[in-house]
Amino acid sequence: MKKEIATLLITAMGALALTGCGNKTDDNVQTNTQNTEADDAQTQSQKTESNEAGNDDTSGEEKVELTFMGWGNDSEVATFRAMIDAYEEKYPNVSVDYVVVANSDYDTKMQNMIAAGEQPDAFYCGIDYVMKYAATGNLYDLSSYVENNDLFDVDNVWENAINIYRYNGTGLGDGPLYALPKDVSAFSVVYNKDLFDAAGVTPPSEDDPWDWNDYLEAAQKLTDGEVYGTSMYSMESAVWSNGADWLDASLTQVAFTDPKFVEAFQFVADLRSKYHVAPSSSEETSLSSYDRFMQGRLGMMGVGSWATADLWNQCQFEWDLMDWPVSPNTGEKAVWFGSAGLAVSPESEHLEEACNLIAFLAFNEDAQRTSYTTGMSVPTLKDMAYGEYAEMDKAPVNKKGFLNVLEDYGRLATQSRTFNQEWWSEFNSGVEAVFNGEMSAQEYCDSVADSVQALLDKSVEQQKALN
Amino acid sequence: MLALWHPDDMCLRKKAAGYEKGMVIIMAKNSLKRKERRAGLLFVMPAMVQFVCFFLLPLCLCIFASMTDWNVLVKNKNFIGLQNVVELFRDSKFWIAVRNTVYMLLPIPFYMVLGLLFALACHKEIKGNKVFRVLYYLPYVSSIVALVLLWKWLFNSEFGLINQALGLFGIEGPNWLGDPVWTKRMIVIMIAWKMIGITSIYFLAALKNVPPVYYEAATIDGAGSVTQFFKITVPMITPIIFYLLCVNIIGSLQTFIEVDLFTTDGGRNYGVATVIYYIWQKAFNYSQMGYACAAALVFGVMILLVTLLQFKLSDKWVYEGE
Repeated sequence: MKKEIATLLITAMGALALTGCGNKTDDNVQTNTQNTEADDAQTQSQKTESNEAGNDDTSGEEKVELTFMGWGNDSEVATFRAMIDAYEEKYPNVSVDYVVVANSDYDTKMQNMIAAGEQPDAFYCGIDYVMKYAATGNLYDLSSYVENNDLFDVDNVWENAINIYRYNGTGLGDGPLYALPKDVSAFSVVYNKDLFDAAGVTPPSEDDPWDWNDYLEAAQKLTDGEVYGTSMYSMESAVWSNGADWLDASLTQVAFTDPKFVEAFQFVADLRSKYHVAPSSSEETSLSSYDRFMQGRLGMMGVGSWATADLWNQCQFEWDLMDWPVSPNTGEKAVWFGSAGLAVSPESEHLEEACNLIAFLAFNEDAQRTSYTTGMSVPTLKDMAYGEYAEMDKAPVNKKGFLNVLEDYGRLATQSRTFNQEWWSEFNSGVEAVFNGEMSAQEYCDSVADSVQALLDKSVEQQKALN
Repeated sequence: MLALWHPDDMCLRKKAAGYEKGMVIIMAKNSLKRKERRAGLLFVMPAMVQFVCFFLLPLCLCIFASMTDWNVLVKNKNFIGLQNVVELFRDSKFWIAVRNTVYMLLPIPFYMVLGLLFALACHKEIKGNKVFRVLYYLPYVSSIVALVLLWKWLFNSEFGLINQALGLFGIEGPNWLGDPVWTKRMIVIMIAWKMIGITSIYFLAALKNVPPVYYEAATIDGAGSVTQFFKITVPMITPIIFYLLCVNIIGSLQTFIEVDLFTTDGGRNYGVATVIYYIWQKAFNYSQMGYACAAALVFGVMILLVTLLQFKLSDKWVYEGE
């Protein structure tokens, strides 16, 4: 008998030794719990908190437990935690388990959870994934909820930002609604006012917009030794404003061999390789344009509204926004805007509570206020954007630089409108050669057209296979 | 499985032998054997459970999945036979990745030779060699993410220490992080540097195992230290050289994390991506799990062939003892 017990003990010890690694990581997580800055720890502590809350409150009506998964930096997580607390106060029968995953792991984790049938009730959904998840039946159709809810008025939300989450079975833009915009990020041009004054450049105004040539001229005036005139220009803005696109209207054929596309592409590349008004590729890898701008060594740069906080905190000079220059051929301007959505899983057992949660998180006024006063984004609610945000006494002076993009000329990126983005990485894998002047835009576009088309065909095929 | 049945066989044979000696002894022996057998089973259990759960089962699932069009997001899978493999062989990106993966074998000779030299230096009783041993080993135990961050800073083309140092000699340093050819070279340098320590520890252990009598006899016969090194030391440590070659080649073929951390999308023109990176992208970025399983199997077979070849060749040069 003694022997047997000894054997058992030894076996158990062996098993423990084998799983040693696992135990160690568990320990780490436990010790990390005190450190609220680590993402993992936040997951852990949040879980325990909500579990405790769940156990304490067994007396009343049955408690609904929701899982909500997202990513975010510290301030975003803190904002969301505060919002979730407010939600739980408003709906005392619901407790939310808030899981934070590192941004870079998020999509992998989400896909694995879907594969395992364990998706959270409500979750962040990046715009690139909306089509994939909606087409595979992993997003709950929010259309009827949105029309009959009492948390927000859909007409008060940027139409652009709502419509990108509609999917009709073939493309985004119309049809049933599958997510609500957690935020909107407008992409605009920021410029260094001090450098402009020193170089004697007058920024464009609404009555006197710039075209590409004006932009180039200004960049040339600004470039001086340590200072570059501009970062690499937004390809989207150049291409779209010139009336071209990567793909044709049906999104099934590549269209970048069109002369209008090539012209725009060449304009962007020439800024670096011909006119040397943008940092070279090696200068860019060693110090990104973003940091160069913050250091006051770059005149103009494309910038998203998410960078407002950094601009506030790091710039030792005056800065402001301008609209994207128009194409000299069309007189039109264009640029992309981004957004991340909040979605509900159709597998959720508490659809109504989950819908309420995402609507509350997306359109809660206090949260919107926190997010623009901390420089995270511009409000999703129009009345607030044109009201208190526009009147806010902080840079940029020209807040319409962001708002115009959302109201007027912003578009959803082409690659977000296809089923997968492999063709897009293929197109981009060699564009540096054009930016560096090793190849002309025409040569490059001709050389990759076939391989990009092949990948696009695959994407279309994959989407069709699901219908 | 063989290991499991061996004790049983023994049991049967002994039972037959015990028959002649009378029933009582048999009974006692029998229950003792049974107990022993149970204990034996318990002992191998953890290893078996691990083997079945984390190796055999996933392997079978992988073989099955490789013949389907399994997309992670879709519930039903269709059987498509070998179509995935055909598509894989047609994909030019896969072959680029294979070439890059072979490139990652480059650091092995460097760190094997340097590791041996370091081990020889440590083997001699020099003052402070314990400190050196710790220092050599440090890169190996450091977190790879931390190392990559450090190297990104070192190899920054404008402000990095490496290019600044090169600049002192009038050499214009390359764009390490932007140009895929140089990024690959940088990864090679980094892996070589990282692996020298652990390699030298292995060599040190092997050197300590060479019986000193051989050296004594050689000294009496008048052999110099160079002759001793090539005629005694090297042949005696061929088993560890062989072991390190096998393990390191497999390890190098599986290079992934450096590619993921140093580049986005495998670098310009996919110039840095390795096969594992390719598989990972297919599985987790593009949700094509079935296709990725097929790629993983094909790659597994490739590694197996390389390793078998090594074993085959090992008869020619590895010293197996008297």
